[in-house]
Amino acid sequence: MAGWQFIRLQIIFPLILLILFLVDGNLASSLGLLMQAPIHAIPMLTFTWLFYAVQFGIQKEIPYYTYVVIFGVLFDIFYTGILGTYTLAFLLATIVMDRLRPYFDERMMSGLLLLLIGQIVYLLVTFVAGQLIGSANLSMLSFVVYLVLPTMLFNLVTAAIFYFPSWSLFQRLS
Amino acid sequence: MRKLFSSRTIVLLMVGFLVVVGLIAGSNWWSKKTNNPPFFQRVVNDLTGGVAKVISIPTNAVGTRANSLANLLNTFSENKALKAKVDGYAQNKVKLQTVEDENKSLKKQLDLKNSLTDYQTISAVTISRSPTTWNSQLVIDKGAKSGLKKGMTVLGDSGIIGLVTEVNTVNSKVTLISDTSEDTNRIAITVKGGSGDTNGIVTDYDADKQMLVMSSVSNSANVNPGDTVVTSGLGGLVPSGLLVGKISEVTSDSYGLSKKIYIEPASDLSKISTVLVAKSSLES
Repeated sequence: MAGWQFIRLQIIFPLILLILFLVDGNLASSLGLLMQAPIHAIPMLTFTWLFYAVQFGIQKEIPYYTYVVIFGVLFDIFYTGILGTYTLAFLLATIVMDRLRPYFDERMMSGLLLLLIGQIVYLLVTFVAGQLIGSANLSMLSFVVYLVLPTMLFNLVTAAIFYFPSWSLFQRLS
Repeated sequence: MRKLFSSRTIVLLMVGFLVVVGLIAGSNWWSKKTNNPPFFQRVVNDLTGGVAKVISIPTNAVGTRANSLANLLNTFSENKALKAKVDGYAQNKVKLQTVEDENKSLKKQLDLKNSLTDYQTISAVTISRSPTTWNSQLVIDKGAKSGLKKGMTVLGDSGIIGLVTEVNTVNSKVTLISDTSEDTNRIAITVKGGSGDTNGIVTDYDADKQMLVMSSVSNSANVNPGDTVVTSGLGGLVPSGLLVGKISEVTSDSYGLSKKIYIEPASDLSKISTVLVAKSSLES
């Protein structure tokens, strides 16, 4: 029984990851209010799903970082065409969350704070990478006000809404 | 105290960092240099695009419904205003038709087959938009198979929205004019002023002001806020006469030697569900 459950998680975790990866792009194109100028909020559901795995301790039961790298590369190829930025952002942000997890307790609010830290790392990596290839010519203030804040707001609310459903899903699967 | 990272991890991180920086810089350089992405990227793009298309069906349907519902609320006042406008358009349409016919026959007399204003359009549906910080890109459902090429112009509801920057077999990426990278939105444009035209190129996108920038315009050029900006067609792939936007501000550059013009894009870039790719007839 345990073996079957292990396989079940092995299949369902990356499957949902793939769906969320595509839904991210789709939300960005179809949910107009996210990109209403000057606001530029990025849906980060893929990242939130990776956070749930860390928060609920699932990452030890699956080849977690393999998935992180695979989806990071996929993200780079499909969404930007420039390799490396999002692979690094995903990897670094998940590592930070994973390492900091022991210092946080089980409450949802602590979890969301952990996600917030992960999001900051993620966005910071993309900001630096953007500077590197010269595609970031937005001032730091505008970056924080128009991009970081709305992005965090959107994703924290989404993460809070799906927190307990995902928790019970992971309970059932593992 | 517990160590955050082991020394092995640190070494791995450092090597990884170097590899990643190399990859970012290298692939950025490569994608600008070539017309088609490497085979591996192309296959991944085509496969992912296929799945993304399936996923986008329900969300697009929901999005369209929600939009029509929102539109329903201000239909009455909108309808009134539009009715008043339509009368003017009917007259313009007839005039346009007459002038177009005249243009055709004159071109025939001159033995001119295609000019810069001639283009065909290929319609495409947006599958996805990059949920990323910088590169404002769309993935559309037409690719090399439908005749798309890198550098073609993409039109939205009311004007130019971007350029095709990567072509896969069955889908392609469109970089929006709001992209802030160095050379994705260099479009040759003309300002249709009251007294003569002023040619130039889009030199930048000001992300803070949300406007396109045309700099190094001669001080003697007669450009005013409110003037229409269209593509000039110079340089090849972009047909001439496509609406870019309206001038919202004319300033002088930091040395006072030339003018700097801020252009407000005509199309709404927040929600783009379908696009038209303009294929210049000149290009064979």
